[in-house]
Amino acid sequence: MSHVVGIDLGTTNSLVAWVRDGVPEVIRDQSGDALVPSVVSVADEGTIFVGREAQRRLLTAPSRAVYSVKRFMGRGIDDVRDEASLLPFGVTGEAGGVVRISVAGRELTPPEISAFVLKELKHRAEEFFRERGEFDFEVDRAVITVPAYFNDAQRTATRDAGRLAGLEVLRIINEPTAASLAYGLDKKNRGTIAVYDLGGGTFDISILKVEDGVFQVLSTNGDTHLGGDDIDHLLIQMVLDEIAGSASPGVAGSASRGVAGSASHGSSAPRDPAYTDDVGRVPPSADALRGGPAATLIQAIRKAVIQAKVDLSEADATDMQLDPQPDLPNGYHRRITRAEFEQLIEPLVDRTLGPVRQALEDAGLEPPDIDEAVLVGGSTRIPLVRTKVAALFGREPHSELNPDEVVALGAAVQADILISGRREMLLLDVTPLSLGIETMGGVTSKIILRNSTIPATGREMFTTGVDNQTAVDVHVLQGERELAADCRSLARFKLRGIPPMPAGLPRIEVQFQIDANGILSVGARELRTEIEQVIEVKPSYGLTEGEVERMLIESFEHAEADFEARLLIDARNEAESVIHATEKSLRSHDFEQVVRAQLQPGEVDRIRVALVELKQAMETTDRELLHDRTHALNHATQHLAEVMMNRSVREALAGRNVSDV
Amino acid sequence: MTDPIPVRSATALECRTCGAGAPVDEHFCPNCSRILALGRHGDYFSFLGLPRRLTIDAQDLERRFRDLSRKFHPDYYYNASPAERLASLERSSYLNDAYRTLRSPVARVEHLLAIEGLPSARSEEGSAKVPAGLLEEVFALNEELDEIRELRESGGEPGQLSARLEKARQPIEGKREEHERQLQELAARWDAQDTASAQDKRATLEALRERLLERNYINNLLATIDREAASLPAAGRQ
Repeated sequence: MSHVVGIDLGTTNSLVAWVRDGVPEVIRDQSGDALVPSVVSVADEGTIFVGREAQRRLLTAPSRAVYSVKRFMGRGIDDVRDEASLLPFGVTGEAGGVVRISVAGRELTPPEISAFVLKELKHRAEEFFRERGEFDFEVDRAVITVPAYFNDAQRTATRDAGRLAGLEVLRIINEPTAASLAYGLDKKNRGTIAVYDLGGGTFDISILKVEDGVFQVLSTNGDTHLGGDDIDHLLIQMVLDEIAGSASPGVAGSASRGVAGSASHGSSAPRDPAYTDDVGRVPPSADALRGGPAATLIQAIRKAVIQAKVDLSEADATDMQLDPQPDLPNGYHRRITRAEFEQLIEPLVDRTLGPVRQALEDAGLEPPDIDEAVLVGGSTRIPLVRTKVAALFGREPHSELNPDEVVALGAAVQADILISGRREMLLLDVTPLSLGIETMGGVTSKIILRNSTIPATGREMFTTGVDNQTAVDVHVLQGERELAADCRSLARFKLRGIPPMPAGLPRIEVQFQIDANGILSVGARELRTEIEQVIEVKPSYGLTEGEVERMLIESFEHAEADFEARLLIDARNEAESVIHATEKSLRSHDFEQVVRAQLQPGEVDRIRVALVELKQAMETTDRELLHDRTHALNHATQHLAEVMMNRSVREALAGRNVSDV
Repeated sequence: MTDPIPVRSATALECRTCGAGAPVDEHFCPNCSRILALGRHGDYFSFLGLPRRLTIDAQDLERRFRDLSRKFHPDYYYNASPAERLASLERSSYLNDAYRTLRSPVARVEHLLAIEGLPSARSEEGSAKVPAGLLEEVFALNEELDEIRELRESGGEPGQLSARLEKARQPIEGKREEHERQLQELAARWDAQDTASAQDKRATLEALRERLLERNYINNLLATIDREAASLPAAGRQ
């Protein structure tokens, strides 16, 4: 039987997990890596690369790569124009429509790009099941997680991405709730839990009550544009400002105003030249970052600041180092302390506290009522985040499970519940935002309130304003604001086929149904005649059924090129894991003193040569060459591996002797 | 906004799987034991197996909600027939609505009034008219608010105005507390009226509705005071 998996489709990284004998586990690649970077790169001939390979290409060919696409799911161009300025890919789209991303001459929607990441995860899982020797290793169904605060359009976009990747999406579930499932597995306890989930691009807070295996969400809140990406942007901006302020005239212009010369790269993305960011600075122009030399510099900076950010979770200070390069002739070096870092990011971290307080208030609780606080998401590794959460709840938060993996584990548990029908656990989630319709004067009339347990229904009666009117327009909204213009437009539709009657006489009941995915559907009928009404919903920021169908057909057409790319990626991944293992051995602390002595003369040199040759092959796209040189390095290191293995066995045995004494 | 719960077509009462009929508020078909479509249901009380009373034990309500969730939730019907999946969705949605409504004491009274055939206590005309029992307080408050607004516009000292608003709030808060008590008394009277005459029961319901209308009016007054307080310049600023 084909397999089901749980997928955490993240802003920065994505993961896939499954349930083995009732226990969820993350599916890793050959080198033991669980994370697939959510990066997609399009090569010259249209080949698609995903994950580590795309991440590598981001550094050398930034204009061909797309990352953080989750922030664009279900959004319009007006929502994302400001942050698009710091990204190397072009973001376009008509006002009031779906965002389109132009990369390497192709225009793709965010669901299509996410579908590439999902396909990669599907492939990883299928390889895993195939290697386990399973006859039917196909993975065709999945539970996919989304931020709890995602609106209807963002959820629908995620479901579309799943379909485009050839997955039946069993369920869309909320990330913090998924995490609570993973945490709740081994504890049959009860209590009130707060899940604080700060990821790469989004922030969620969910308050749950757990009793008798029922995980009931009391309230949720968040910010779908607040996460590690924003911290990176602050750091990148800081470095750019410092580079601009230093004696490097060639770069000053590119950093603060965009590279004038790169206009010749000819991106036609519409951009408001007068636009400035929140703090009034003129950000580097999108044109400068797209394809031009500055884009390469920005990616180098981005890599360096992310490394610094990670380092500062452990160390009190770290160095940011950029090698001299065409746009940065003198290079860049800076020591940054944790105190400096914390001062920089504190306003961002504080932005999470408002949603936390609102969620508590909506649940009718005070911080002391929370029995346990749980941390989820890579950004919760930052000490300042931990300190703030601990201060808010007055207790140390839990983080026993890997904050990167816990969401995927929970998704796998939910997939298992759906397929097996096991009833020990049940998730009762809520809708994060109120659902309403626009009424007279552009005012929102709420039909389903936020934090209502889903599935939920709401009804509204409509009538006509003119004699013999046969159609009524309905505008569906999501949000908490009074005015329709301040809420999120979800869809517009026309109630048609109303029997001709005097004005005000028809009674049309429209039923809004939010399903267990948090996704809306609409039905309507005229009550006097019992006639079902025909509704054609036009999503405001989503794909129509026809568009999804067309994309599915296109993806089949690209399947062959994708297959070739797949083989190449596999070869590179294999090569990378051998390189990694070899370098680790050569670097190990006892290599020089102990291991070297046990090797034959010239053996180390042979290994080093094979290593360099394989690294050279990594620069090409020659699959055969990669394969041969991986094999050669494997061969050269065989003896070394045996020596290392023997040593570690001896050490392990020795350790046991010591502890026995 | 809240309309009477619509009456659905009678055919939905039959089991979509085996065609057998089932009593109102039966969740599973007595014949084939499949989950039933949400036909012509009774009301939130009977759906949860509760008598039509206003005093509800919160823990008992929560337990019923959890137990029924475990029976209806779409998670457990993933492999079932389309008819059962739809039934599970409908029944879960209705359960969630019922639980949310009955958990809130005020929404509970509103639901009782609706199923007993009384007009909604939330209607627009209802809240526009000053309830007789509040006339005195409303006049006094309006006068005070007018004066405070005038003073605010002519640069009155914010701290002083804020104190006057707080003072004006007190009689209204007092009225609210009195209403809470009266609501509780009426709720207790309703619960003891199982065997009372239809006339007596109707009188209790009418009184409950009166209290709800007044309550909405009081809440609007408090909201007005809050808005006024929010429009004062922050105290202490020069």
